[in-house]
Amino acid sequence: MTDSRAPVVLIVEDEPDVAETYNLWLEADYEVRIAENGDEGLAKLDEDVNVVLLDRMMPGLSGDEVLERIRGRDLSCRVAMVTAVEPDFDILEMGFDAYLSKPIRSEQLHETVEKLLERSNYDDLLQEYYALVEKQATLETAKSGAELADSNEYEQLQGRITELQDDLAQTMGGIEDDSDFITAIQQIGGDDT
Amino acid sequence: MYDLSNVLETEAVSEIRPGTSVLIAGPAMTGKENLAMEILADGSRQGEGALVVTTGSDADTVVEDYQERVSGSNNIQFGVVDCRAEGSSGRGGNSDTPPGLYIHHVSSPGDLTGIGIGITKCLESLHGSGATEGRLALISLSTMLTYTDRETVFKFCHVLSSRLDAAGYIGVFTIDTGAHEEQTLQVLKQAFDGLIEVREGDAGREARVLGITDSPTDWASI
Repeated sequence: MTDSRAPVVLIVEDEPDVAETYNLWLEADYEVRIAENGDEGLAKLDEDVNVVLLDRMMPGLSGDEVLERIRGRDLSCRVAMVTAVEPDFDILEMGFDAYLSKPIRSEQLHETVEKLLERSNYDDLLQEYYALVEKQATLETAKSGAELADSNEYEQLQGRITELQDDLAQTMGGIEDDSDFITAIQQIGGDDT
Repeated sequence: MYDLSNVLETEAVSEIRPGTSVLIAGPAMTGKENLAMEILADGSRQGEGALVVTTGSDADTVVEDYQERVSGSNNIQFGVVDCRAEGSSGRGGNSDTPPGLYIHHVSSPGDLTGIGIGITKCLESLHGSGATEGRLALISLSTMLTYTDRETVFKFCHVLSSRLDAAGYIGVFTIDTGAHEEQTLQVLKQAFDGLIEVREGDAGREARVLGITDSPTDWASI
């Protein structure tokens, strides 16, 4: 990643002790924001937030309602739902990216946050890759082979495309497991359905 | 390595690296689908797994056609993701599905998540049956493009190619060059490692291979 700033994690959790525990685990690696309820969570959510840890059972706005509103806003953050019980399959339809069942251990929390960051990094890379491939195709359709061979812009474009191919192949081990595959597809299909 | 030279008689395709995805492009009625299915059948005859993602024919038709192609071979491991099964549910787990056959239904060619899940389940079954090598055919991208835009199809192809790479399988994807703008074809090509162009020549159907070897092969009849 070229951005040296720490990724931002927003914890939405009504029990202060629990929220503080997550904070202690995460603060060394991420910028952490804490919200005590759904309304506060939505207020502290902006484009800078990369991952939201969302408690499902909260007084006031429930985790489900908060999630719905997050998805209603045009934000690219990934949401991990924190549940008291192992959820049913129907929960997968709800539009979050991972779930964690309480009690959560430190390594588990780190793993989940890292995985979600990697996935969103993959989506960003794929988006950039597509934009450049479009540009390349436009040039190739509009210009002759000789013109392309002389073009600095075209050469740079090709170089950047090759770089992105390598980056994509290395992110998430190049879509090694099934859940990475499915979430990557969900993400690309999500825009226009 | 995968050897496709039984189907396409050129040295260029005799050592295809696992994880390679190839676009089969040509005008309508030039045998793209037949070529893709023959590439799969050739693998099945050598004991590899095969998986078809179909947007045009229903699963039963695909299975029937495939059984004819591979008749005489034993232990065929064949998966079908039927994307045109409006409203019907999965049949894969039913007892009337013969062993070695895995069928999943998806509601529409635009339901990419459903297709992804179908592919995942078929790959699991094929792997579970011991098919560590295998070939996937997606027929066709042109139909998919009528349900969703080229950006989505491009990304889908890229992600699917990556998944095939991790699985060590190869993939062939068909597209009707007459049905899309030049720009669309140009963009989609980039999602693949190689390209097989087909055309109707004076002496019948011909094909050439681009991107697999340093220079394109000559047109040769198929």
